[in-house]
Amino acid sequence: MPTPTPSTSRPPATEKLLRVVLDPPRSPALNMALDSALLEGGHPATLRIYSWSPYGLSIGRFQDPETFRAVPGRHQIVQRVTGGGAIYHAEEITFALTVDAARLPASIPDSYNVLHDAIAEALSAVGVQTTRVCCSPGSSPRPTEPWCFADPGPSDLVDPSGKKILGSAQRRIRRPQERILHHGSLVLHSPPQGPRCAAVADQVDPASARPTLTEGMVTAMASALGLAPTPAQLDPSELAAAQGRLEPAAR
Amino acid sequence: MRPNDRKFLKSHEWAKTEDGTATVGISDYAVSHLSDLVFLDLPAVGSEVTAGESFGEIESVKAVSDIYSPVSGEVVAINEDLPDNLDSLASDCFDAGWMIKVKITGESDELMDADAYAKHLETAGD
Repeated sequence: MPTPTPSTSRPPATEKLLRVVLDPPRSPALNMALDSALLEGGHPATLRIYSWSPYGLSIGRFQDPETFRAVPGRHQIVQRVTGGGAIYHAEEITFALTVDAARLPASIPDSYNVLHDAIAEALSAVGVQTTRVCCSPGSSPRPTEPWCFADPGPSDLVDPSGKKILGSAQRRIRRPQERILHHGSLVLHSPPQGPRCAAVADQVDPASARPTLTEGMVTAMASALGLAPTPAQLDPSELAAAQGRLEPAAR
Repeated sequence: MRPNDRKFLKSHEWAKTEDGTATVGISDYAVSHLSDLVFLDLPAVGSEVTAGESFGEIESVKAVSDIYSPVSGEVVAINEDLPDNLDSLASDCFDAGWMIKVKITGESDELMDADAYAKHLETAGD
């Protein structure tokens, strides 16, 4: 197969600021719609920190919701536009970064490493120890487990016992601009549904750590991207665009 | 050396046109940056595609990416074996890794030949 032509530079990223939106709890469907809308709508670089009300179960783009109908509990099942496995969203810090692709390495694994290292730094600052999985030699790329947290893979953050504490996924678009959505769930308390995963609560008290941890994540990710974090709120038009994506029953 | 018998989009798709039908796939550059391929979603035969718009999605480990159509028209064939044999896409993206065939009604005005695509990669890559 032909070898890709070596390149010497990438188009400069034009964004300078990172909007930081500390969003109120929203429904699973609206959270997913907002992630998509902020990716595709040509909005400025945004880091949205959010939570789930009610709790929800999100599945990856290529997963079948019928697989998860029997999961106990009152929750919505929503499908992400990103890949990977199912996540039960309960007590966690959820983040969604939407940014010009030029702000992150072109290599998908490298882009994960940049963001996960930033989150690991924030976790370490509040006393939560993690390591980033280097590689999984011999493993099949097609996942054998339906749950995101069941099987740590390369670039994942794990606690000292080897359990996964952060689940994240990307969607990349190239038109009309090259942009990336990278969203993830940092578990505060392991949810009752799905496999037992690592959680912040295993090492420190999440309630007291949460404000410092959130601020640390924002600072570290903004620094990794070379952007200046700026507190912001969603524009009403952005929320309306997301609500317009919902099924009528979910609006 | 990329084949000279087809045109390319900046978003790394290619189209090879013969007798009003375009065979469409993705380039070696796209495949190399996607890393391990796990899932592929292609449109149904009989559906319409529009130049510049997404016609499918591909998931590699860690990311889902859109695949954009270089042409407009009706999908007349899809590579049905490809979603379950993504190794052939990784190893031979210009032949065995074809994705769809389209009866053309129009094409993107951004299509470029292999040499221009190579120059584009030199200035816009990582």
